[in-house]
Amino acid sequence: MQVYSIPNSIKKDSKFTFCKGCDHGVAIKIIAEIIDELNLRENTVAISSSGCSVLLYDFLDIDCLEAPHGRACAVATGVKRAHRAKGEEKFVFTYQGDGDFASIGLGESMHSALRGENITAICINNTNYGMTGGQMGPTSIMGQLTTTSPLGRNKEYHGFPIKTAEQIALCEGTKFSARVALYDVKNILKAKKTIKKAFECQLKNKGFSFVEILSSCPTNWKLSAQDSHKKIAEELTKIYPLDIFKDTIDD
Amino acid sequence: MIEKSLLKGNIAIARAALNCGCSCYFGYPITPQTEIGEFLSLEMQKRNLAYVCAESEIGAINMALGAASSGQKVMASSSSCAVALMQETLSYAASDELPIVLVNVMRAGPGQGYIYPSQGDYNQATIGGGNGDYKTIVLSPSSVQECIELTYKSFYLAQKYRNPVILLVDGLLGQMAEPATITQNPYPDIDTSSWRLDGAKDRPSRNIHSLEPNQNKLNQHVLKLYQKYQQIEQSEPDWEEYLCDDAEIILTAFGTMARSAKAICNHFREQGIKMGVFRPITLYPFPYKRLRELSFKAKYIIDIEMNMGQMLKDVRLGVLSNSQISFIGKPVGDWLKKEEIINAIKNIIKEQYASI
Amino acid sequence: MIKNFIISGSGGQGVLSIGTILANIFMLGNKFVTYCPCYGAEMRGGAVHCEINMSDDELLTLQNEKADFVIALNQMSFDKFISKVKEGGTIIVNSSMAKIEKTRNDIKYIFAPFTQEAIKLDNIKIANSIALGVLSKILGNLTMENVKKAYEKILKDKKELIQKNLDAYLLGYNYIQEKEYA
Repeated sequence: MQVYSIPNSIKKDSKFTFCKGCDHGVAIKIIAEIIDELNLRENTVAISSSGCSVLLYDFLDIDCLEAPHGRACAVATGVKRAHRAKGEEKFVFTYQGDGDFASIGLGESMHSALRGENITAICINNTNYGMTGGQMGPTSIMGQLTTTSPLGRNKEYHGFPIKTAEQIALCEGTKFSARVALYDVKNILKAKKTIKKAFECQLKNKGFSFVEILSSCPTNWKLSAQDSHKKIAEELTKIYPLDIFKDTIDD
Repeated sequence: MIEKSLLKGNIAIARAALNCGCSCYFGYPITPQTEIGEFLSLEMQKRNLAYVCAESEIGAINMALGAASSGQKVMASSSSCAVALMQETLSYAASDELPIVLVNVMRAGPGQGYIYPSQGDYNQATIGGGNGDYKTIVLSPSSVQECIELTYKSFYLAQKYRNPVILLVDGLLGQMAEPATITQNPYPDIDTSSWRLDGAKDRPSRNIHSLEPNQNKLNQHVLKLYQKYQQIEQSEPDWEEYLCDDAEIILTAFGTMARSAKAICNHFREQGIKMGVFRPITLYPFPYKRLRELSFKAKYIIDIEMNMGQMLKDVRLGVLSNSQISFIGKPVGDWLKKEEIINAIKNIIKEQYASI
Repeated sequence: MIKNFIISGSGGQGVLSIGTILANIFMLGNKFVTYCPCYGAEMRGGAVHCEINMSDDELLTLQNEKADFVIALNQMSFDKFISKVKEGGTIIVNSSMAKIEKTRNDIKYIFAPFTQEAIKLDNIKIANSIALGVLSKILGNLTMENVKKAYEKILKDKKELIQKNLDAYLLGYNYIQEKEYA
């Protein structure tokens, strides 16, 4: 009986370069599994972004294009439309962080959703700017200590965070929007099911699909891997509930 | 025979783009180039081609970046202050070696400026506002007919060198109509199958990115780009000479200003003064070599621009002789008048040409 | 020979239409021509004018301070462009919508009630073509064949208007007598 195998869509020579306990690895692996299961590898162009998520192409053995910071959904739009102009439907998804998707790129992200662009966006939400060393991001929670909110995020001084999946669900062109987490096996399996659904939304040519993944950032949170996941389970999911906020795929 | 029709520069560019197989256009309205997007909105849709009224110029140029990765002919168009917004992605496209044709129909700056005529984006186009060591090929038409021909050439050079190309158009030319012919695209299509992203089918996966954490690799990448730029500088400089062979005075100008320069040249020739006009058609690569050769016979090089002397720096780099280099220009508004330029030239050359 | 023209009026008066038609007539006559429309900031009802340059040789000077011929279809454009008529040039004025007033003695004036004449033809919108007919008479060297071709080209989607406009054009063409203009 085979208990574990590396998905076909993961590069055979790739080495895990994320921090210990970071959920990027799990997220990329389940995406690779879904690509395998849906047999998408040979028809996919993935768009990576800036921040830790840029490294997607180091792991995935599929065609990948890097977008400038925040512009992944615009780049994905161009890719999708260009192939369609040739009469070809490519599977196009973005892999972005919360800073990329919901801060610098909110305009591109939301307009892609509003247009109902038939692409899938995956957003890793670890409540800070990870690659630059843990600064306050659009999703940093109230009271969160970061290198740019050293006294804790404060609504008077810093303002409020964004609940991305809920906001994107409001767009008419969005057909699927959900938030998942990866802090235990049950949730990882649920996340995989949810992302697969988002991918299928695109395959059915329904419109914009979006999954926000609550992810750990042990290095910048200054917690162990275990405590990071505990923080997600006990603290973050209260503020960012795990749910499907919109599913009109079959409407 | 293909019939001539009265065409605006903007429409001529849009029609030429369609005619040579541009299948993807992305834009956002800004005067004086909006007609390009307006015209293509219907024509692209009729042909089931890619057209997005983007949420911003940043959105538009990044859609173009994505579309370019498919290996197809991709165009975006905008104007001055909005082209400024696109500079980041031009730097990415240069590093990614993705062919994008960007049309800039210029208005006046700095900042929002206004829709008055100006040639204020020479620096923005040739030097570029993006980060890092990169170059953008820049073509400058001076007539509506040339808008058509240089649109074809832009798509060709973009794909040949896998590099962004800017078609830098005077606002006056975008708005002005002249008799012109939509000729056939004379350039061959370039095979993009060796690099484009269309799914890793029957081949290893590909990735296109500018990020490179390995400094040696990044170094090598930039050096490779510069080998390409060197080749472009060798092979692609293009220019027009008007009565330059015996010229003692050479006027340098680009775009429609070069037409005014020819009128002025005719005026002085009638008075027996040996004047010529040198017009760079490729602003990058600038035709330094030819200007250098011509300058050895010239007493005066007079650069005329509708800006404060942006091409002047390239003229100075090109001229190694003892010719006196002068500048006549004005930043914004009605094109410099013939009489104004004539008087300014007389003032410059009066020591050697006392008779006029 | 180079000739410069300014056609002016307000939005809706068909300034750009006759501008395009005139430019096309020149093109069909194998002349070099440039046509440049200029709009005000307003989309409707604002000032509109266009500049046309025509030459036997390549056109090198694209913007000119003054014009040999100016058509002014209303008072606002008359006031704005009277100073832009070259010495010895001609201004053609729609006297239905502008006062008959001669402030310069170095130019020729032609006043004619284009709007009233157009109303007589049952279509106020063809006042512009009457004005073009007047201009054409003064220029003298435009062939009717090219005029017809130009109208057919510009009005190809509104074929029913071609004949009406040509009638208006001819009315304008025959409106002034040689001696009036001499």
